[in-house]
Amino acid sequence: MILDLHAHSEASEDSRAPLETYLKWLQRKRDLLPIDGIVLTEHRQWDPHADYRELEDRYGIRILRGAEVETDYGHILIYGVNDDMTRRFDFANVRLAAQEVVSEVARLGGVAAPCHPGRPTIGLCEHYAAGKPPLDGVVAVEALNGGSRKGENERVQALIDAHGYGAFGGSDAHLVSLIGICATEFDDDVRSIDDLVAALKGGRYRPVDFREQVRAARGAA
Amino acid sequence: MSRIDRSIVGQEFDRTTFSPVTAEQIVAYATAAGETDPRWTVPRPDMVAPPTFTLSLRGKHFMPKNMPAELGRNGFDAGKDIELGAAIRPGDVLTAVATVHDVYEKTGRTGAMTFIVFRTTVTNQHDQLVAHIDQKMMFR
Repeated sequence: MILDLHAHSEASEDSRAPLETYLKWLQRKRDLLPIDGIVLTEHRQWDPHADYRELEDRYGIRILRGAEVETDYGHILIYGVNDDMTRRFDFANVRLAAQEVVSEVARLGGVAAPCHPGRPTIGLCEHYAAGKPPLDGVVAVEALNGGSRKGENERVQALIDAHGYGAFGGSDAHLVSLIGICATEFDDDVRSIDDLVAALKGGRYRPVDFREQVRAARGAA
Repeated sequence: MSRIDRSIVGQEFDRTTFSPVTAEQIVAYATAAGETDPRWTVPRPDMVAPPTFTLSLRGKHFMPKNMPAELGRNGFDAGKDIELGAAIRPGDVLTAVATVHDVYEKTGRTGAMTFIVFRTTVTNQHDQLVAHIDQKMMFR
């Protein structure tokens, strides 16, 4: 199955995309974007009360939730957020200690995965290049990010080769028309956030890139 | 922890009641915005102002006097969100109340940024909500 592991709805202050409009878009673009589900990773926040089961049923698209937090090694996606994690960390703090996030999220049952590692200032590559010690316990990084500029995704392969990280993809969509353009193909079914955490630790997944076919379809229209 | 003092969140820093809206004001706004449709360029007592007319309202203070010192004085406009309510017609008496709605930090390709959101709530003489205007300012 294919999931977009990194998307922002209008709950993030810099996105204008309503969740339901993402779902309508994916339903209409099914031939172009074979996305089975999305993971909402809102910036610096976690809403313990959000419940999207009714939308999941109506559109037949899986909706899971994580968070994108900001650390001294750049931005990190957290999957499997629970109350223990939100008590342990202030998600709004833009100066979280990355090693603590990675280690503690793992201890508390989730996965913390650096996103857009090739991006200046807020990507892992730059921090490693500056001589900071590599983070212990990273199981995967976002090798393919739909919001990356030219050259940013290309920097990530060397990071993966050097450290043996798993590689996944996400659109990082903030606009409706960008949802699903980069995603992750899993060999196993992912029905819940617990399944996703287990799958990310298991390694049977890979990034998938739909940008070229989306561009081609736009060009043909 | 945030380095920015958030104690100003919720603080009201301006409250202004404006003179009754005139048809001429609406026409002036629409014309300045490049509108050519006679619905907005010919004054009529029953005309409705364009939705963004509220942005032409100017209160007495653009921001609080006690802005956090660590921000410095030079911010720039980081965009507006407007939630529209009741229509504006000639004769309406509008009141705008400005508060500090949020202060937050984020990091991006170019480094750390602090945003302040000023919310202006505009109501009419019937206490109906006319608009919420969220004006973001970015400081670094």
